[in-house]
Amino acid sequence: MKGSVIKYERDNIDTDVILPGPYLKIHDYNELAKHAMEGIDKDFHKKVKPGDFIVAGKNFGCGSSREHAPIALSYSGVKAVLALSFARIFYRNAVDGAFLLPIEIEEDTYKDISEGDQLEIETSKNEIRNITKNTTYKIKPFPELIGKIIAAGGLFNYKP
Amino acid sequence: MAKTLFEKIWDSHVVEEGNGRSLLYVDRHLVHEVTSPQAFDGLRMNKRNVRRTDLTFATMDHNVPTSNRSLPILDQTSAMQMKTLERNCKEFGIELFDINSPNQGIVHVIGPELGITLPGTTIVCGDSHTSTHGAFGALAFGIGTSDVEHVLATQCIWMEKPKTFEIRVEGKRKNPCAITAKDIILSIIRQIGTAGGTGTIFEYRGEAISELSMEQRMTICNMSIEGGARAGLVAPDEKTFNYLKGRRYIPKNYDKLVEYWRENLKTDSNARFDKSFTLHADTIAPQVSWGTNPAMTVDVTGTVPFPEEYAKGNPEEEKAATKALQYMGLKPGTLITDIELDRVFIGSCTNSRLEDLIEAAKIVKGNKISPKVRAMIVPGSQHVKKQAEELGLDRIFKDAGYEWRESGCSMCLGMNPDILSAGERCASTSNRNFEGRQGSGGMTHLVSPVMAAAASIQGHFVDVRELDLN
Repeated sequence: MKGSVIKYERDNIDTDVILPGPYLKIHDYNELAKHAMEGIDKDFHKKVKPGDFIVAGKNFGCGSSREHAPIALSYSGVKAVLALSFARIFYRNAVDGAFLLPIEIEEDTYKDISEGDQLEIETSKNEIRNITKNTTYKIKPFPELIGKIIAAGGLFNYKP
Repeated sequence: MAKTLFEKIWDSHVVEEGNGRSLLYVDRHLVHEVTSPQAFDGLRMNKRNVRRTDLTFATMDHNVPTSNRSLPILDQTSAMQMKTLERNCKEFGIELFDINSPNQGIVHVIGPELGITLPGTTIVCGDSHTSTHGAFGALAFGIGTSDVEHVLATQCIWMEKPKTFEIRVEGKRKNPCAITAKDIILSIIRQIGTAGGTGTIFEYRGEAISELSMEQRMTICNMSIEGGARAGLVAPDEKTFNYLKGRRYIPKNYDKLVEYWRENLKTDSNARFDKSFTLHADTIAPQVSWGTNPAMTVDVTGTVPFPEEYAKGNPEEEKAATKALQYMGLKPGTLITDIELDRVFIGSCTNSRLEDLIEAAKIVKGNKISPKVRAMIVPGSQHVKKQAEELGLDRIFKDAGYEWRESGCSMCLGMNPDILSAGERCASTSNRNFEGRQGSGGMTHLVSPVMAAAASIQGHFVDVRELDLN
């Protein structure tokens, strides 16, 4: 998985800014995508490209249980969010619907990655390669159940 | 082996487990119009039924207008979402409390009110404030739409077992009329942080928790998610059993169940928690949030903090505080009691129950709201509204200049006609002060109903301990 980085240097990016409340009435996922991150970045939908990664601080996705948040990011083209930590409902929603990969990164990795960096993520090796900076970072492996659901392509394809 | 309350409820609901995962049985599934449409679509697409229609209940709350219910709904997308829920409930055989039902209300207000919420049960809903039901000693947590579909189809949910986190609130509050359950939970979140409870289930314990009423315990459990925990519990006691007795949906063998609950639903004296935090109730002052997450809170006698002082040497926190103050249009050093307000909102699943309205009415009675302020009161359910009207509370609020509205989520989340305009500053009894939560560019200060009521009269925050509240 290769893509470039959109970085938000902040903690507690909540689901209300990822996908503001007024848009929860929208059922068309491509329409939802036009409002992704609108709460803190009105230009997000113009700059995001298919395959991009979001890099952010602690407690990404806190707040509401709206699955519209990972859906909006996913349909914008975001393949993974790399954050210092995640709120649990967002994490779970991202995995359940196979919308995007929620990847926990270390503090050093977070600091090293810059806006626009080209990354290659290899979950099988638990590794991120920063092509721009010619370096690699280790990532924590997914817990067993989550790894299996991801491998199956979401909750409904997962057979215990 | 000694167990915590959480572990007892968990163990009694595991259907199957192994390899770090558990399949958990769900006793009650609450459904609303916003997070369910795609779940029903999924069922239809895969030709699946709802497994237990008798354990599934639906209502409309998030995008219902709170104005006159005899008028048509102007927002067509909202009307469509409500219509869709109606059609889905009919097709799949689920009981629905629609916009005209006398049982309609915010899902976390009506669950307990109708006796759907019971001690020792597992409850899920496509809403993060499902943690509210933990006040009854139920393991209750919010889920996303994929999980809603999974529970509709199977009545079960996959979980990794969370850790346990004891939150002790010792002693007594100095002035229980002025220092409310809302101030207790805001003080807890202020200290443990918004991610303090990530991956855990809270159990609230101690004298200051035991002495709370059921409605106050709901306020506390409601905001567990704001401290990062998906659920919060209070062990059920006689108050719990009395509160539920005689309510519409309680089982026929209720008294027998009470005997069982009384015996079993408590943490064993030598059980161990993975984490623990203690707060002394006599140190708690009325709280007002100044920032853009619920941990950014200060005593009403305090000032808007300087970012570097708030951050205590953490550069990330300093940046966050600077951004928050910029959004909130506040200058460091400003007295909290000098912050002037445009709007007051009393409502939401945190603080819209009868007791909240009674406490607010004590302050409002015989007064007029500040001419600068627009104030709304939104009862949590049609039952709350009716009971309040029987007590004459509607007159008290209306005479003071408040708008007395129909039940719903209203101005908590900015997805129905009740929203803040950009630049409006609001004292709100809701649960989230995130950027844009109550409307794009709106500024939210989280407070108790007592504080909101006092602020509506004065036009700014006041130390409610100085008011005569008895």
